[in-house]
Amino acid sequence: MRKILAIAGKELYTFFRDRNLILLSFATPLVLSTIIGLAFGGVGGGGSDSPDFAEIAVAVVNLDEGVDVQEVLGLPDQFTDVGSLPFDPADVSLPFGSSQITLAALMESGSALNFGDQIAGILLSRPPGNAGAADGAGLRFDEIECGLLGNGEGEETATFSAGGTLDDLLDAAAIEDADLARAGVDSGEYAAAVIIPPDFSRGMIPRFRLDGEGRVRAELGDPAGTVEVYGNNGSPLSARVVQSIAAGIVNQFVRVSVALGATVETSANTVLDSFDLGVVDLSNLDLSGVDLSAALASLQGLDASVLEPLFCLITPGASNISVSRRPLDALQQAPTIARVIVPIGASQAVFFALFTGVFGIHSIYEERRHWTLQRMIVSPTPRFYLLVGKVVGNLVTVLMQLLVLLAALTVIASIVIGEPTMIWGPSAGSILAVALALALCVSGMGVLLVGLARTPEQVVLFGPLINIGLAVLGGAFGFSLPVQAAQFSLIYWGVDAFTKLASGQTDIALNLLVLMAQGLALFLVGMWLFKRRLDL
Amino acid sequence: METIVDAQNLRKTYRRSDGPDIEAVKGVDLSIRRGEIFSLLGPNGAGKTTTISMISGLVSPTEGDAVIGGHSITKQPMAAKRLMGFVPQEIALYPELSARQNLLFFGRMYGLGGRKLSRRVDDLLAFLELHERRNDRIDTFSGGMKRRVNIAAGLLHKPQLIYMDEPTVGIDPQSRRRILDTVKQLRDEDGMTVLYTTHLMEEAQELSDRVGIMDHGEIIAMGTHAELTQQVGEEDRLEFTVSGGVADGAPARIQREVAGVTRVLYDAPEQAGAESVEPAAARLTVFARHGRTALPPIIQVLDSAGLVIQSVAVREPDLEAVFLALTGRELRD
Ligand SMILES: Nc1ncnc2c1ncn2[C@@H]1O[C@H](COP(=O)(O)OP(=O)(O)OP(=O)(O)O)[C@@H](O)[C@H]1O
Ligand SMILES: [Mg+2]
Repeated sequence: MRKILAIAGKELYTFFRDRNLILLSFATPLVLSTIIGLAFGGVGGGGSDSPDFAEIAVAVVNLDEGVDVQEVLGLPDQFTDVGSLPFDPADVSLPFGSSQITLAALMESGSALNFGDQIAGILLSRPPGNAGAADGAGLRFDEIECGLLGNGEGEETATFSAGGTLDDLLDAAAIEDADLARAGVDSGEYAAAVIIPPDFSRGMIPRFRLDGEGRVRAELGDPAGTVEVYGNNGSPLSARVVQSIAAGIVNQFVRVSVALGATVETSANTVLDSFDLGVVDLSNLDLSGVDLSAALASLQGLDASVLEPLFCLITPGASNISVSRRPLDALQQAPTIARVIVPIGASQAVFFALFTGVFGIHSIYEERRHWTLQRMIVSPTPRFYLLVGKVVGNLVTVLMQLLVLLAALTVIASIVIGEPTMIWGPSAGSILAVALALALCVSGMGVLLVGLARTPEQVVLFGPLINIGLAVLGGAFGFSLPVQAAQFSLIYWGVDAFTKLASGQTDIALNLLVLMAQGLALFLVGMWLFKRRLDL
Repeated sequence: METIVDAQNLRKTYRRSDGPDIEAVKGVDLSIRRGEIFSLLGPNGAGKTTTISMISGLVSPTEGDAVIGGHSITKQPMAAKRLMGFVPQEIALYPELSARQNLLFFGRMYGLGGRKLSRRVDDLLAFLELHERRNDRIDTFSGGMKRRVNIAAGLLHKPQLIYMDEPTVGIDPQSRRRILDTVKQLRDEDGMTVLYTTHLMEEAQELSDRVGIMDHGEIIAMGTHAELTQQVGEEDRLEFTVSGGVADGAPARIQREVAGVTRVLYDAPEQAGAESVEPAAARLTVFARHGRTALPPIIQVLDSAGLVIQSVAVREPDLEAVFLALTGRELRD
């Protein structure tokens, strides 16, 4: 028992010694939650009525030219002659929603992605037009059915409430010309103008290139800084609000873009590694000897349901990032910032904890590489203890992370509100119970993943993908899915429980039950699989 | 003498899905006596680490078993593991923890704790002259210092038996000297049994009471240094420098009259002009089975032939020569 504690303690200690890890695990979710909280919750929200700054006049100028999918994939450079591919692109189709998209369609030019449309649409509180997206002869993004995304309107929608829709907050108008919009701001017609530059989408998409060693590298642009918010001296507060709203929205996109870049980078390199050709020159790569059919078969058989929400998120017309109203009387009475920061903060906390869960358990590979695992195995310590120690350490780390984040969010909200406020509700015991159940789930998820994956690279590849999938499902990316879908995500159950507690409700038994059961199941199956990692 | 490690027919085959199986160790018998330093000497990939891994319970043998102090490593691993310390070839420490924290942690893995552990850690750090740096993170240490902490972590529970897998790899001569002295000290002062692996002939030669030479997963020779070198029948090499010309009869007489001599080589001195005062030196090389016993009679023969001996050197055959004789390859590559 003392040995288990020693191992668990060591896990905890090494986690909190790592400055980068701390930054990622604590600072990032806090900053994100605060930005979003301020954007939607307002700074002055001490009262019980709806947001203080109703109807800020904003001009939205979308100059974004979109980006060509074919160009993004870098296909023209690499495969000048599509016919030279060892397979027919028309035969390869990827499942997206109910429709199948062939690779050939994806490779035809004219398929444009336009993120500017998206952002403008959100600000204008209307689904973005399909203008830029659909006129290409190739892939029609608007035809992708995002079955998981409901129409977002009915009362049934399980969504966290921002206390009011953006529509209530902003009086946004679409303007064609940037100078016209600036003039409007100068004349006082608008409090601010949001101007999306022509190359916005281009900057958002990670660029992929091969480095000198034949590895795929993703390069990220810095689109966050490029959206211009032109303010009016007369109403600086309003301009600031618009600024933080725009920043909050753009940030959501940036995060998807970052995750996408990392994911593609890892998967492409995994594929390259499997070729084991050393330096790969794609332009005269002889693929005839490589059995691509197996890879393609697995690609086609790929269950795209995880990727699908991601895809829908970046697809104009498909997503409906709306902030819908939910009549929760108690919640409505809480200060605005608290109303917003509870669901957003909770979901961000769980999302980032998921990474701690996976990568904490993943460190067993690191220990094996450094031989510290071997050193523990040759000590008179049963292997089962090593396992339990590692997992308990991870569980406690995750729990601590969650609790620290909850506490920090309380402090932030209290500062904004101006007085100490228990944003999570009065019942400390219930909060702790939810956090514990969540930690069990999150850590169990890590154990299962590391147990399932056959190599450390697979963990690095699938871990973030699954985490993002859970976050999208559970609504951590700022838009919500129908309950039926969201229920599959532990984030939904956790955030729902926290929201209920915050609004003074106590019926979280179901949430606890679901989380506990899920956590235990993940743990049992995961541990059973994870055992194998100790066989050297 | 009492045997502390008794391994029989140890075999390890690594199964691979993407290629032929690797027979890393092919039936090793090993018995190590209490209180000795036993070295496994062999080139890279010989199977030294795999052998140590099996007799320490790190990997399970494909075949065979090892008994450590009366406990089978496969059937009673906990009892066996309590007796042994382990110093891996890698620096098996947490880089983000201090030297002291690392040692405290691994001490707890051996069931130590409290003030006793704390004192033991401080003693070891002092013993290895690391006391001053005890609270610094391992990743700020030099290679030699890391190696020493790595050794300390294997000594925490005062084991009767310690395995050291190439503990001097990649460090400067001074640090290596220190480690070799420490190893001898452990045997001489603490009565510890040491199983030491290395691919360096000099280390095995200097440290060991007995050596096992490993190659391609097998122990191809085992014994004391003398046993090993004689087993191959390598001869000593006696090298003389003598002044003045050697009478033609002398080499032949040595070969004929001195027991054990197999060959005599004679390098005539360069013809320095007749007017030269100092006679040039000549080299005489004698190969003999027992160099030291052959030396006095050889000197007598040279004396009676009126020659002046300027220098004598007896070169014993070394492990390098043994390895060469057994495998036809140099140990070093
Ligand atoms: N986990 C493993 N899987 C597959 N093969 C292995 C594994 N560990 C060792 N081997 C192979 O077994 C053989 C013996 O390796 P081992 O590490 O025991 O050699 P060694 O004598 O310790 O060499 P070195 O001096 O380089 O440390 C090598 O061919 C090695 O590639
Ligand atoms: Mg080795």
